[in-house]
Amino acid sequence: MKTIDKDINIVIEICGSAGEGTISAGEILSRFMSAQGFEIMSFDAYPAEIRGFGKCVAHTRVSSNPIYSPGKLADVLIALNDNHAISQLSALKKGGILIYDSQPPKPHEEDESVVARADAETISYGVPLTMLAQKAAGNARGRNMVALGAVTALFHLDRDAFTKSIKDRYGKKKQIVIDSNVNSFLEGFDWTKENIEKEDTISFHGVTPPQTKAEQKREKLIINGNQLVAKAALDADLKFYAGYPITPATKIMEILSKELPKHGGTLLQTEDEISAIGAVIGAGYGGIRAMTGTSGPGFALMTEFTGLSVMAEVPAVIIDSQRGGPSTGIPTKTEQSDFNAAVFGGTGDCPRVVLAPTDTQSCYGATVLALYLAEKYQTLVVILLDFFLSNSIRNIDAPQKPAPDMRHANIAPDPADLADYQRYKITDSGISPRAIPGTPGGMFFATGLEHDAYGRPNYTDKGHLAMTAKRFRKHASVLAEAPAPMISGMAAGDWCSNTMMPEQDTGGDPSGTGIQGLEEGAAGSSPGISDNDGPQEMVDIGVISWGSSAGAAHEAVMTAAGEGISAAGFSSMMLSPFPKKDLAAFAGRCKKILIPELNYRGQFADFVTTIIKRPVERLNFITGRPMAAEDIVEKMKEM
Amino acid sequence: MPTHDHYVIIGNGPAGNAAAFTLRENDPDAAITIISHENICFYSKPKLVKYLAGKVDEDALAVRTMDEYRRRHIRLRLGQTVAHIDPDSQSLHLSHMEKVHYTDLIIASGARARLLPSMKPYADCLTFVTEFNDTRGLRKKIADGSRFFIFGGDLVAFKFLKMLTDMGKQVTLLLYPRAFWPHRLTKDMQDAIVKNLAPTGADILADDDLDTIVQDQGKYCVTTKQGVRTQADLVFSFNGLIPEVDFARGCGLEIDHGILVDETMRTSLEHIFACGSCAQIYNPDINTYTTSIGWPNAQVQGKVAGLNLLGEHHKVRPAGRKYFDLEGVKIKTSWWEDLEKGKDT
Ligand SMILES: Cc1cc2nc3c(=O)[nH]c(=O)nc-3n(C[C@H](O)[C@H](O)[C@H](O)COP(=O)(O)OP(=O)(O)OC[C@H]3O[C@@H](n4cnc5c(N)ncnc54)[C@H](O)[C@@H]3O)c2cc1C
Repeated sequence: MKTIDKDINIVIEICGSAGEGTISAGEILSRFMSAQGFEIMSFDAYPAEIRGFGKCVAHTRVSSNPIYSPGKLADVLIALNDNHAISQLSALKKGGILIYDSQPPKPHEEDESVVARADAETISYGVPLTMLAQKAAGNARGRNMVALGAVTALFHLDRDAFTKSIKDRYGKKKQIVIDSNVNSFLEGFDWTKENIEKEDTISFHGVTPPQTKAEQKREKLIINGNQLVAKAALDADLKFYAGYPITPATKIMEILSKELPKHGGTLLQTEDEISAIGAVIGAGYGGIRAMTGTSGPGFALMTEFTGLSVMAEVPAVIIDSQRGGPSTGIPTKTEQSDFNAAVFGGTGDCPRVVLAPTDTQSCYGATVLALYLAEKYQTLVVILLDFFLSNSIRNIDAPQKPAPDMRHANIAPDPADLADYQRYKITDSGISPRAIPGTPGGMFFATGLEHDAYGRPNYTDKGHLAMTAKRFRKHASVLAEAPAPMISGMAAGDWCSNTMMPEQDTGGDPSGTGIQGLEEGAAGSSPGISDNDGPQEMVDIGVISWGSSAGAAHEAVMTAAGEGISAAGFSSMMLSPFPKKDLAAFAGRCKKILIPELNYRGQFADFVTTIIKRPVERLNFITGRPMAAEDIVEKMKEM
Repeated sequence: MPTHDHYVIIGNGPAGNAAAFTLRENDPDAAITIISHENICFYSKPKLVKYLAGKVDEDALAVRTMDEYRRRHIRLRLGQTVAHIDPDSQSLHLSHMEKVHYTDLIIASGARARLLPSMKPYADCLTFVTEFNDTRGLRKKIADGSRFFIFGGDLVAFKFLKMLTDMGKQVTLLLYPRAFWPHRLTKDMQDAIVKNLAPTGADILADDDLDTIVQDQGKYCVTTKQGVRTQADLVFSFNGLIPEVDFARGCGLEIDHGILVDETMRTSLEHIFACGSCAQIYNPDINTYTTSIGWPNAQVQGKVAGLNLLGEHHKVRPAGRKYFDLEGVKIKTSWWEDLEKGKDT
């Protein structure tokens, strides 16, 4: 049984200049906290320009309870660079803790120190970071480690375990590097213990992390969305990836460039995104699993080709990791403004599948599912990530590898089909058995033109209608295979499925998406369903969300419950086709609806209103920061 | 007309606050900054005793809220320490290596506990209470402990003694005749104090002195010169205060125990005033400088410093009739009260 004597739920930010070890200090902190058994969610913010200069922030939320969002404001700000940290003070909570260098290399002019600019309520601890690093290692590089030593002493963390985390991080480096980092850490620890009078109340003393020892034996991955997408693609037998580098999707390509060849696959860096999607469609036509990754500007270029994938019924998977837009926009800021482009973009009646993972863990499931659906339904599948999901780091249970039927999903023609092979045969499911080029008797035409069942151009009104309807029919079957929407704060009705209540996490489904259910062929059924025959109570506010905002939305619902607001949350990884019935049933139990999302006009809110046909409240941000549960709760209070 | 004046006040106690609020009332435009090494808003030191007894919470200590400063545009730099003053460039050097410029400076840095030279070897064994920081963790130790030793005999010593005995704790007081510094308790005074404290039930030792303190497993064994041995959970030292002025030494200010000021709170340097417990004020009645004791004194002086900084000419008036009541024993000490609009001399 879990015994948590005391809860921990804090956000620590380390702010410095690129090159000052800000990000590596954040990484060590996250790994240490994870190793201690805490839940972590962390992300780094850095300038759009190439890394190497400018402000960097490593943001880490640590909790003894499940985490759904990164936390809006920091409890602790560690300033490695006063200049940059001054602008980060606005993200520090009132009464928060500031740890700063009390003996910087150069004196500050008036008001140029971070402590000068902190609110009077701030609890500030001056630690001579530079001086102690010099003392420990003969140079100032270890200031980040001194700061971690100070944090360890101040918050009563396990010094020896932290030392081990540092050793692990630098394990492959020369001994002198390991020693200077460890010594700087210990110097910071000892100095703080000796000299700082603790004025705050944060303490890990007596906190039992949520994972018991037995659970800790389970393999934990500390991983971000991009890494999980790449891992999932490899596990799901991806054999071809074509792409052109673009933030925030580049990392996927980077990983696959190393890993794909080891798995018998090929990575092709093309001259642009048009070529990339062209190559992916070519590979898909050739019968192998293929994928590309990009961001808004690249996705825009791919649009014309997406129609070909749908029309010629060739499997293709595109990952669009959204960033501030339109055009080149704000490359290193997160946004959810490609909803319309992904769901509706392009020409013609073009049914495609669009999936948006709602958290890091579900990036794995979404990728496996995308490759499966693309292959089985011979169509285009778009995965909408965003900068935050791509880059934020979680500690998660290692996902279970996809079952064989998820890895090989092509419905091949049988000999009877091949007798008179109709590549685009009209079927109830919309799926026509697909012959891979080279299949004896399986020759067919594939073009972007409207066609008859054999693939021959056919422009008749009847033919076009029949083929369009066939392509759309796939949606119904796709929906039946889709993971059910996530509901929070409401007892499950017979329409709903993945019910998430405050005291629960997603438990036995390590992919967090219901993908396990798919393995068992239980698609669309409802794991954890609770039949609710009694009268269904109305809640005051229903929060409907998608993508990376969903975590914050569900957290807000749970927080609001604690504040006496009756609320429920709904999010669906499947955006196209959309589980409209589920949505309508959910909305029917909510007096008011709130839709938080990270775009200006409320693209998803517009979409939802066409389904539920009633006005909704919108909460839109384009600050470049991930959605914050705190902001949603504030809005709920106003409603 | 807006000015570009920047009045800086070192100290967030009654003297510093009286100065800052007086300045704001009379100069709506100037920039005003209070610097304090303590990370806490203006609080009542007299209430620390009740706080330690567990009778009031931290919130009850606050004298002003942060909002009052915001509304008056008085900037608080809390948790920041002045390392030294550079009167030539009219700037302060903070210990985190930041310079702060002033057009006029008021030093109201208060006083710190006096550590008797003979007690230096035992400094680590002694508990002092002069500011909120000293009380962190102490509340619990007092609640959990059963026996306490008090060495000294200033005002706070007696307040503490009563607080502890009221809580049912066993207390030994070693009365030190020089504790009510700079005054010395005569034999008669000591006898009267011992007699008056009898109802508290505390063990009072007089005509004795501390010999050794030995720390063992978080407890203390105190031995006096007369050979009395006492076990204690904590050993408090209340032997008066000395002005907190080390940071101001060497900058050209005239300093004895405290910063020397005339009755208008002016120091020996232009644009610098001092007030409250850090100051040593000229008393024309006895033609010497005396240190200031107590909260009301600090307030009066802070106000006078503020007004005079703005060009007025007020004096603090030594009030000869003020006595301190030290457990029934009246001790006459320097006291300043009432503002007197002085004549220009
Ligand atoms: C426990 C206790 C009980 C008391 N009870 C009573 C009582 O009942 N009645 C009474 O009249 N008096 C009492 N006093 C005394 C009274 O509190 C003081 O006389 C009064 O606070 C002096 O005011 P001040 O403004 O001069 O200095 P303080 O209140 O001491 O304030 C000094 C300020 O200066 C700041 N400071 C000092 N050095 C620096 C530096 N280098 N850089 C930045 N900031 C600095 C400090 O942070 C602080 O904010 C008591 C004192 C104590 C400790």
